[in-house]
Amino acid sequence: MQKDLEEKFLSDIEKNQNIAHKICRVYTTNQNAHNDLFQEITIQLWKNYPKFRGDSKFSTWMYRVALNTAISLYRKSTRRVKTQDISDVAYKISSTPYDDTEEAQLKALYKAIHKLNDIDKALIFLYLEDKPYKEISQALGITSVNARVKMNRAKEKLKNILNP
Amino acid sequence: MDVLDKYKKAWVNQPEDNRQLSSKEIYKLAHSSSSSLVKWIFIIGILEFIFWGVINFLVPDSFYKVYKDLNLETFLQIFKVFHYIILIAFLYLFYQNYTNISLVDNTKKLIKKILKVRKTVNYYVYYNLAIIVLVSFVFNAKIFSNPEKHLDIINPDNLAMDLSQIVTISIISQIIAVIVILVLFWLFYKLIYGIFLRKLNKNYKELSKLDESN
Repeated sequence: MQKDLEEKFLSDIEKNQNIAHKICRVYTTNQNAHNDLFQEITIQLWKNYPKFRGDSKFSTWMYRVALNTAISLYRKSTRRVKTQDISDVAYKISSTPYDDTEEAQLKALYKAIHKLNDIDKALIFLYLEDKPYKEISQALGITSVNARVKMNRAKEKLKNILNP
Repeated sequence: MDVLDKYKKAWVNQPEDNRQLSSKEIYKLAHSSSSSLVKWIFIIGILEFIFWGVINFLVPDSFYKVYKDLNLETFLQIFKVFHYIILIAFLYLFYQNYTNISLVDNTKKLIKKILKVRKTVNYYVYYNLAIIVLVSFVFNAKIFSNPEKHLDIINPDNLAMDLSQIVTISIISQIIAVIVILVLFWLFYKLIYGIFLRKLNKNYKELSKLDESN
């Protein structure tokens, strides 16, 4: 039973790991921190997996646990190892051909997101992932109306950082 | 939103991260040891319970002799029983609040629950500090109600001083001891709040702010 659960978990995570990678990229700025947060997210997902009943999509559940880990559980590592900025290494060996302009825009976008506070980061991340307001408000624990208003403010902040 | 639209398009089109992990690697990560804030808050809480639990055993026997001399032995015995009942009640609350933490809750509720675990420990510490004040108060009241009778307690080395001098020195040294203890506690909590709770408090405040206006 445990083995089945574990196999299912591993395959679910392997398929959806990009969600966690994106969250790590939003909340960290170097490779070590990215790995630390990814590890913590995986631990928390596994710990909570037996309680996942499948009444929501796996990915929806994963967004919730991973974001909560980044916002509430993750403590920046005290290790201060000099590391390369993530945006320089992340796509170095990417197999997908990628538009240069879009790559530059993506780098600028991540850089701008890093300047936001943790909650605005979550709002913007969920906006970029095209999540409906209902899901955003449920994930953060605020009303839908407030989610909409605050989202607009967070977008304004982001725009100002991108185009000062 | 036109400006953001092009960035959103770049976001949607971003390729998969190149750090794709195999299921074997994910397995290893999932079974590694967590270093989450909650874990640290739990460990520190347990250490504080142990600290306050064993502090009674660290008090030298001579100290209890003083209580005997002051006829406060029964008071001390009753107080100890009461103290351990309170300790168990706090431990129960602490553990229950800890197990209530669920990552599937919404972020605001989650942070509130984590902070509640910490608050349980804080209340326990306040309780202990209040007890120290209370016991000192009873102790002092008993001594100074009849200082001449209890002279050997406040002047154990039989220093040649008059009574008012001894009383003054005794009070001043107690005040200094209280200040030193409070400063040490203040530093300890400043450290805990700084390292482990700053982020949670900040994010909780931010989320509460989101719901305040409108």
